[in-house]
Amino acid sequence: MSKMILDFDPVLCCGCGACAVACMDQNDYDPGTGNAPFRTIFETQELGDKPVFSHYSVACMHCSPAPCVTACPVGCLRKDPQTDLTVFDNRDCIGCHSCAMACPFGAPSFNGEGKMEKCHGCYLRLQYGLEPACVRVCPTGALRMVTQEEYDQAHGEHSVVEEARRIAGEQI
Amino acid sequence: MASYAIIGFGCAGYHALTAIRDVDSQCRVDIYSEHKDAPYNPMLTTYYASSRLRYEGMFPFGSLEDISLACKANIFPGTRITGLDPEARSITLEDGTVRAYDGILLATGARSFTPPVPNECPEACISMRTLDDARDLKRRMEEGGIARGVVVGASMAGIKVVEVLHNNGIPTTLADMAPCIFPLAAYPTTAARIQKHLEGQGVTMKFGAGLKAIHKGTDTAALVECTDGTLLPADLVGLCIGTRANMDLAVQAGLATGRGITVNTFMETSAPGIYAAGDCCEGRNLQNGQPQVIGLWANAAYQGYTAGAAMCGSTRSFNGNMLHNITHFFGMDFIGFGDNRVTGHTLTFENRDKGLFIEAVRQEGRVVGINILGSYRISGILKNHILGIIQNRHHPIPDLQRGVLKKEGLTEEFILELEGGEESHGN
Repeated sequence: MSKMILDFDPVLCCGCGACAVACMDQNDYDPGTGNAPFRTIFETQELGDKPVFSHYSVACMHCSPAPCVTACPVGCLRKDPQTDLTVFDNRDCIGCHSCAMACPFGAPSFNGEGKMEKCHGCYLRLQYGLEPACVRVCPTGALRMVTQEEYDQAHGEHSVVEEARRIAGEQI
Repeated sequence: MASYAIIGFGCAGYHALTAIRDVDSQCRVDIYSEHKDAPYNPMLTTYYASSRLRYEGMFPFGSLEDISLACKANIFPGTRITGLDPEARSITLEDGTVRAYDGILLATGARSFTPPVPNECPEACISMRTLDDARDLKRRMEEGGIARGVVVGASMAGIKVVEVLHNNGIPTTLADMAPCIFPLAAYPTTAARIQKHLEGQGVTMKFGAGLKAIHKGTDTAALVECTDGTLLPADLVGLCIGTRANMDLAVQAGLATGRGITVNTFMETSAPGIYAAGDCCEGRNLQNGQPQVIGLWANAAYQGYTAGAAMCGSTRSFNGNMLHNITHFFGMDFIGFGDNRVTGHTLTFENRDKGLFIEAVRQEGRVVGINILGSYRISGILKNHILGIIQNRHHPIPDLQRGVLKKEGLTEEFILELEGGEESHGN
């Protein structure tokens, strides 16, 4: 499998939140824990002569290299060798939140046991030829899972991938 | 075939090994370590001591055998290096054997600092840095018989030892000569809030008086005497006053040193072919441009990888880092960015519904330091923001991050203040 890119284009996003719901369903997210789900949905507005509204669905950007992987003191985080997605095994997570301090996108969340969870790009679904849950339900194509080659060939003018790479590149 | 030696095997040493292997799969790599454990993070010690982390969980890169096989390295655990000859690029082992290499990395780490004060009761004293320290504390907790504890040093390590004792039902006093908790990271208002939280949890604190002596006690094993004459009874005394870089080899070899071994951005010391990385060396503090030991796990990883790559001829460099830390204790998070001695205009923000408090200092329109209580989720975004400022890439916080900050309880007005306020936006 090639290096995969979880792409997002805010101009195409309508802010319906279906991606967040699908993600919660896929990952057995329990609202009763009070923790934030893996996806954060919000909108921005630029007021001017022609007000511009944009919608965002933000989760792990699967940075490469990923500062959270380097920061984790117990090795819970790693890059999936097949897809380059940032995945985790939180058995030894001590809840130190070092990954959160390393992440420039606020992606790591912590469950009721204090153990880290986050978007893993549905890498196990990918292995079975399925799309990530969020991508599957996105009605506008704002979210898509593509190979690096596919991304290089074509991506939306407003794709956040390049900006995310710039931001991650400044993180230490 | 090239050959390299890594002296000391923690985070920096491990990442140097991976960098060497990324460049050269055939070269010889010998690793010498005084201890017999695989690389681990010293901050895990209290988690292991309190049984919140299994033993195997201490070693994120696996066992020495795993690493040796995966990276084709010759690892010599329990081996002390007694000499370094920079000109010959050789090291001397304890038994007198001399081995020469194409490149040598000093990744000897740091050790707990034990203050030179009279101590009649060393058997009641512990440090918290090594796995042996963790084993010691774990054993003492399991054996019981500790009625009172005193931890000297209101540091990140100190508060974690206090937490272990507290969770074992041991009333504990946290003492420091500084006027407040986390004196190297926290701003006054933030420190006061942390102290109030700890008081609410039943932790006693004594600030403004240093450690003078440790005496044998009568009702308790020890009596900790402070410089103001106060006597604190304790059956267990945690000495968490700080660390010192292990640079004996470097000093003996005549390498340039300060509080750590001096290195350039390739992690090369004053002697060509001799490198240093991790807690034993002084990297560059990006905020003031000065050399400084920044003893952080990820920092050691970046330094180690850079050193390993540089030893193999790469031009990869590591410019430095800023002071930053996150500590989770007693159900709260403290996060600090930047040098808290830098003064300026103080900004504060609180969102009680979210349990969030932020104290920031702005100087000449630029944020130079941030303290956060209660929200780990925004920490990486604000770290990214201040790193951008420090590295002269000051720009508004992108929508991608801004939206998350607002979701977590920040207001647009406070975000604008963090971006520089009127001084920056020209309003």
